[in-house]
Amino acid sequence: MSETVDRERAIDRELTMSRAMVEAIATEMRDDEEVFYMGEDVADYGGIFDSTQGLREEFGYDRVMDVPISETAYLGAAVGAAQEGMRPIAELMFVDFFGVAMDQIYNQMAKNTYMSGGNVSVPMVLTAAVGGTYNDAAQHSQTLYGTFAHVPGMKVVVPSTAYEAKGLMHNAIRDDDPVVYMFHKRLMGIGWLPAPDGPKTPVPEEAYTIPFGSADVKREGADATIVTLGLHVHRALDAAESLSEAGIDAEVIDLRSLVPLDTDTIVESIEKTGALVVVDEDYRSYGVTGEIVASVADEALGALDAVERVAIPDVPIPYSRPLENEVVPDADDIEAAVTRTQ
Amino acid sequence: MAESDRVAVTLAEWPDDVDSDEGVVVNWFVREGGRADAGDSLCEVQIEKVSLDVYAPAAGRLTEVVVGEDGEFADGDTLAWMVPDGG
Amino acid sequence: MVTARHYEERLQEEYLEGKQPAFDISAGPIPGELHLAAGQEAAGAGVCQHLRDDDTVTAPHRPHHVAIAKGVDLKRMTAEIFGRETGLGKGKGGHMHLFDPEVNFACSGIIAEGCPPAAGAALAAKKRNTDSVAVAYLGEGAIDQGAFLESLNFAAVRDLPVVFVIEDNDWAISMPKERVTDVEVGSDRADGFDMPGRRVDADDAVAVYDAAREAVGRARDRNGPTLLELQVHRRMGHFMGDPETYRPDEDQEAAAARDSIERLAEDLRAAGVDDARLSDLRADAEARVEEAIEWANEQPKPAPAAAHEDMWVNPGTGVTDSEPDFDLAGGDD
Repeated sequence: MSETVDRERAIDRELTMSRAMVEAIATEMRDDEEVFYMGEDVADYGGIFDSTQGLREEFGYDRVMDVPISETAYLGAAVGAAQEGMRPIAELMFVDFFGVAMDQIYNQMAKNTYMSGGNVSVPMVLTAAVGGTYNDAAQHSQTLYGTFAHVPGMKVVVPSTAYEAKGLMHNAIRDDDPVVYMFHKRLMGIGWLPAPDGPKTPVPEEAYTIPFGSADVKREGADATIVTLGLHVHRALDAAESLSEAGIDAEVIDLRSLVPLDTDTIVESIEKTGALVVVDEDYRSYGVTGEIVASVADEALGALDAVERVAIPDVPIPYSRPLENEVVPDADDIEAAVTRTQ
Repeated sequence: MAESDRVAVTLAEWPDDVDSDEGVVVNWFVREGGRADAGDSLCEVQIEKVSLDVYAPAAGRLTEVVVGEDGEFADGDTLAWMVPDGG
Repeated sequence: MVTARHYEERLQEEYLEGKQPAFDISAGPIPGELHLAAGQEAAGAGVCQHLRDDDTVTAPHRPHHVAIAKGVDLKRMTAEIFGRETGLGKGKGGHMHLFDPEVNFACSGIIAEGCPPAAGAALAAKKRNTDSVAVAYLGEGAIDQGAFLESLNFAAVRDLPVVFVIEDNDWAISMPKERVTDVEVGSDRADGFDMPGRRVDADDAVAVYDAAREAVGRARDRNGPTLLELQVHRRMGHFMGDPETYRPDEDQEAAAARDSIERLAEDLRAAGVDDARLSDLRADAEARVEEAIEWANEQPKPAPAAAHEDMWVNPGTGVTDSEPDFDLAGGDD
């Protein structure tokens, strides 16, 4: 095929976020025998949230391993295998399940490189399904961005589109450091959990890597800066549409990466707009919204005219629809926050 | 290009283990005007709990989407039209 | 074994230096906690004799005898315990977090935490079709921890070449075994997990050696995991500074009377080894320990700025630091 047709192919083909993520994993698994996937229901089921669809069919039960409901054992085993030089991808079916295995995550996976003075590396990826908005209640709806970003030693990435899902996954697998890859359930493009418009994007056929620590300006604007991640990138873009009709021009920055964190892009935007609105699907206190505001205040206090934090309040996420809708920020909440800054 | 050159895009085989005779198009992977190779996945449909891909019958251009995302369809319905290369 | 015993005794001296008259845990050449394994030497030596450099060992917070038996670099290990820049972890890990990738040894400070990574190393060996094995050490207080129990099941269901070695010294800090665990013989738990289990009186180094040969051999032949329990005794407190007021005198005296090194010496004499040879071995071991301690004491302390280094082995950005250049019209734009 000619090059022109190839480029057109790159533009023409759109994928859901789950397919893009799987495509990256499959490519890496074909290229390197040492890459393997382990998790609950990842073999025949293809992952509860479609994270491994089709992989078992291609690679078999040894490389796409169903594991017992023993997060401590299998996440710790991933650490051990990674320290031997393999490249495991281990999945937390719901990020909320981290509790039963956090020791292996934050005391082993995250710390062994440092405690060994850099002599040991842990080249694994920890994937986790995150997020609510479908009434799965307090123990199955969290994102826990703040929790994972807070403890040092793990890179943390949050794709918001199919294009980014693939590029970040290639980087995560190839990186010799441990990477926590948090994929939002509602962005995956699952039939029974419909995605908004937005995460399904053109995805190039070839492999490519997106750097960590690099935020992406998804929409340029001059009046206010909305900093957000994951599902709320799309809610922020919706809010920005509505705001533009009211004459307010909002810039939307997709963090993409919590560790490392790209503050330069945010500061550059604040120096233009002066109004900072941080939107987070995690709890308000001691988390992402506070961190972004503090980071900007640290570097560019003089440029800050207004600050708004839009996040889940400090309550467990409730079950009933009106209650969950109340606590999880929506486009209207974002719009109202931006308006308050003007 | 003559109308008769277009090829219908349909679901190859209705699944056995479902009662319903209607399904929903969940995701399109190629837009109107976009190209695809024979065998490429063009869209994903869902019939009850079963998810299936619908494949391009030939290499060519997807000229018209008949059933859009969230649209319903029955067995045999044309979901889209393609014009094969060289036609 | 004598290396390990002398090492622990000397470390005790070094540790207590600077902490008198009132015990200040962070003073002196070895700050922080120190958990010494005098009395447990046979468990380290008896098992590790069957291991190669490419076999993986994980150990808990009382690791020195295992590290020595595994062939960890003694000088760099000592420098690490002394918090020096040329230590195994550049002073960042300390005595509970010793990593020597040359001999695949690692220890850690959370109870039973080394069990899953050992299973993981065994998993890697199995996937790669080598005959390497893994060994996870743990104390008898750890057999009630979820990480251990989960690892037993994981190893059994996946048929992993790993040996779990329980060092039963009777005391989980101040809690005697019978107060916290309902089984008398920890290795009996193996039955519930579909793997072989065996208990040995570890004050008999030769018996440990025999049992370990069987267990390691089983793993190396790819016949699955084993749970070994070795009775040992703790000659010193749980950590340095532990007054052991909870421990009855008779228990401490009985422990002191069971000395695996003396027993092995008896066995060797009975096999015809003469005292001169035994003395030479002890002298060599002591000299090696002294050399390591002297070397460690000469090593520089790390510069404060080094605290910010070694977070990652790759750059923070991963394997690339630039965005790919695609024209994606039709997407979000």
